[in-house]
Amino acid sequence: MPQHEHMERHRKLHGRRMDAEERERKKEARSAHKRSEFAQKVHGIRAKLYNEKRFKEKAAMRKTIAEHNERDNKHSNDDAVADGAVPAYLLDREGVSRAKVLSNTVKQKRKEKAGKWDVPIPKVKPVADDEMFKQLKSGKKQNKAWKRMVTKVTFVGENFTRKAPKYERFIRPTGLRMKRAHITHPELKATFHLDIIGVKKNPSSSLYTNLGVITKGTVIEVNVSDLGLVTTTGKVVWGKFAQVTNNPELDGCINGVLLV
Amino acid sequence: MVVYNFKKIGPVPSATDMVDIVLTRTQRKTPTVIHPGYKISRIRSFYMRKVKFTQQTIAERLGNIVEHFPRLNDIHPFYADLMNILYDRDHYKLALGQINTAKGLIDSLSRDYIRLLKYGDSLYRCKQLKRAALGRMCTIIKRQKSAFAYLEEVRKHLSRLPALDPHTRTLLVTGYPNVGKSSFMNKVTRANVDVQPYAFTTKSLFVGHMDHRYLRWQVIDTPGILDKPLEERNTIEMQAVTALAHLQCAVLYFVDLSEQCGYTVEQQCSLFKSIKPLFANKQLILVVNKIDVQPWETLEQEKKKMIEGLSESANCSMMLMSNVTEEGVMDVKSAACDKLLQARVDQRVVGKKVDDVMNRLQVFHPSARDDETREAFIPESVAQARKEGRIGSADHKAKKSTTGYAVTKNDGNEEMAGRNSNPDPGRKTERDIMWEMGGPGVYSMDYRKNYDLANPEHKFDAIPEIMDGKNIADYVDPDIDAKLAALEAEEDQRMAENQAARMGESDESDLDEDEEDAITKIRTVKAVSREKSGINRKQNTPVMPRSVRGRQKDKHDKAVLDTIQSHLGGLGVETEGITKNVRGRKRERKDRSVGGDAMDEEVDTTNMSSTQKKKIRKEKKDGEKREQSLARSHSRPREPSQVGLKDEEARKVATKKEITAKRAFNGLSGEGDHRKTVHLVKWMNTGKKRNGTHNKR
Repeated sequence: MPQHEHMERHRKLHGRRMDAEERERKKEARSAHKRSEFAQKVHGIRAKLYNEKRFKEKAAMRKTIAEHNERDNKHSNDDAVADGAVPAYLLDREGVSRAKVLSNTVKQKRKEKAGKWDVPIPKVKPVADDEMFKQLKSGKKQNKAWKRMVTKVTFVGENFTRKAPKYERFIRPTGLRMKRAHITHPELKATFHLDIIGVKKNPSSSLYTNLGVITKGTVIEVNVSDLGLVTTTGKVVWGKFAQVTNNPELDGCINGVLLV
Repeated sequence: MVVYNFKKIGPVPSATDMVDIVLTRTQRKTPTVIHPGYKISRIRSFYMRKVKFTQQTIAERLGNIVEHFPRLNDIHPFYADLMNILYDRDHYKLALGQINTAKGLIDSLSRDYIRLLKYGDSLYRCKQLKRAALGRMCTIIKRQKSAFAYLEEVRKHLSRLPALDPHTRTLLVTGYPNVGKSSFMNKVTRANVDVQPYAFTTKSLFVGHMDHRYLRWQVIDTPGILDKPLEERNTIEMQAVTALAHLQCAVLYFVDLSEQCGYTVEQQCSLFKSIKPLFANKQLILVVNKIDVQPWETLEQEKKKMIEGLSESANCSMMLMSNVTEEGVMDVKSAACDKLLQARVDQRVVGKKVDDVMNRLQVFHPSARDDETREAFIPESVAQARKEGRIGSADHKAKKSTTGYAVTKNDGNEEMAGRNSNPDPGRKTERDIMWEMGGPGVYSMDYRKNYDLANPEHKFDAIPEIMDGKNIADYVDPDIDAKLAALEAEEDQRMAENQAARMGESDESDLDEDEEDAITKIRTVKAVSREKSGINRKQNTPVMPRSVRGRQKDKHDKAVLDTIQSHLGGLGVETEGITKNVRGRKRERKDRSVGGDAMDEEVDTTNMSSTQKKKIRKEKKDGEKREQSLARSHSRPREPSQVGLKDEEARKVATKKEITAKRAFNGLSGEGDHRKTVHLVKWMNTGKKRNGTHNKR
């Protein structure tokens, strides 16, 4: 019975075919042609998958090639150094290309220019009522239509109890209620799964805010006590605002950015 | 009993492969066509099915992985420990645990998304939700990339572990590196372990099998152990320690006397002492190896004492052995096996299980009824023959028969002598002759000399196998002589009877001449009439009925030719030509037809009645008709439906097309149904259709 590294052992004892290296070399040489043949032949979903894979491979290849190549954006160009004596104020230049430094300063400036309290998504497409609500028929003969069901994701507080059906105009279905959100801290560049405390503002309508509807661009308050943020005075912060950046009703989860 | 076969674990795909497998499966096994115009419930269930299916596929795949990898708590402690050493128990458990968690996460994820899909109010929303669900599932799988890779490596290694049964009879070889453990293994089994003159050639456990006392034994070759504290031992040594610790076996501790291994006898003795706790409850044999280089007798006294002291302290036997000269190898093997076997039997007797069997056993010892001795009866003649040496005596019979066995290289000399010596010296056997004439292969026995024939001279006659193209064996009949004799006797008897009958008859007739004549005449007439009736009865074929045959034009017309002939003949015209002409034409045709000359046979119609003639003529005519119709049938035109088609191939294609065209569409109007039915436009088809009132807008 073959045990352990039986292939290697066999190779050690009996060697390989005389033309093993040759065959390997040829196979390697042929592989490009084979791949090309396949790429030309394949179609449909397999083609999509293949192209995607190949694209990634090529990107990785380009990256490694670029890494191995001589850098051309920042390098000390010896030609620029003048012969002979140089004045003191020119000594520190050293002929270094300034491209990178420049681009960094530009970025910094852009950052400063942007206001600190500006929300990540300043403009939101308003949501109309007929998109937001679905009419429900009620009454013995199903001829009354004053009930509305919210079709978007909502946040409902913990101590909420439904009203009697007669007085319940807006129904927020349990299946669409959400309690937690994935919030990214823009400076830490990390995402946390945080509890929602409440809906601060839905830009489309104050009614939606009251109902706790969460759509794209809604500002919500989240519980950040897990993050251990501290105010300047040394108090632990536990509630912070965040803006929703996705369409929760389409994605099945709430993603947002913490407002700092 | 559990058999450890880790080869059955299926391969674990990499994370990216897993994603591909799962998504492709979903794409292929669930419906793919959906339109926004469908009822919303249908759209929802379409996407819910996709999500659910993906989750099920993933659960099945991950479940298989978790299930098929052995659980460390369930397998034999030897294997559990070995896996701990080789793959790190924590890492292994963590990887499997992560896979299991991922499975759970995906389950709950799919539940969430299916709940959300129930509230989907448009195709777009449903599709987005499905997309999000599958995407998140794939992300969870991708995060387990390292676990998948690790498990695949473990699987590969596990599958190559030797098939070691921890419960069976086992010999375990241990000792310092390079003391000849693997060489011993190669000597007693066919395992073919690599043997090299450097330390740690064997890096893992090897298993070989051998037979002893008609039982199967496994021999385990372990890597060498160095004398170190347990914590400092490396993976290779730990494998040996694990095997020592967990297997119920006979241990062979090897000591290299020659110190060629690079370790002194003192070091080897100290290792023995330090791993002594592992030998508890095991059958231990101290094997002193390489006595070809350093014989035991010439060993220094101190070393001798040291080794002897070891065997005394551990209460084990010491044996000398050399792999090179094969001296003592078999002794060591059989001693170890017997010791282990004895221990196993003892253990079984001590255990509870044996009671169940013992309860059912009862052994009887019959007591002698009287003091009379009853010896075996040997006939007088046999006793005499034995005395004379014509028959083998009792002690010869007890000897194992060697007849029929092929000669082997290792057969002992005494056995050879036994073969040649005849148990019955009085008779010369075929075997003796064979050895005299040059042994097997040179001499072959001629069986013909033992033939029992009436005439012994015929014994060696050559008999051909085939004679005159016939197999002689087919005609051989052992009773041929008896049969021939019987036939001849019968013939003789018949002849005699005939003779006796002739004797009684008289040659003379008692009739006169006239009477003789009359008898002859009567007899000729009789013969003629018999002949005639025979001709009449010639037609044996069934008569064709009128309905089949068809109506004849005119019965009397048949005589037309005859009338013309007679008429013309009366007028003095040569009539021979007319008939010739007619017949000639007929004959021409007949010649081309198949059985033409058979019909040409002219029946002699003289002396026949008119009805007989008619009958014959009709028969002839019908025969002709049949011939012609047969000929015509070969050039019959094809069926009208096939006219215009070139050949058989074209006809087949046409038939197939006809069938498919005729086939009614009976599929359900599901997703695969792309039928364009007649679209009834409501405004065109409702309302009154009286003249002048119905207008197309």
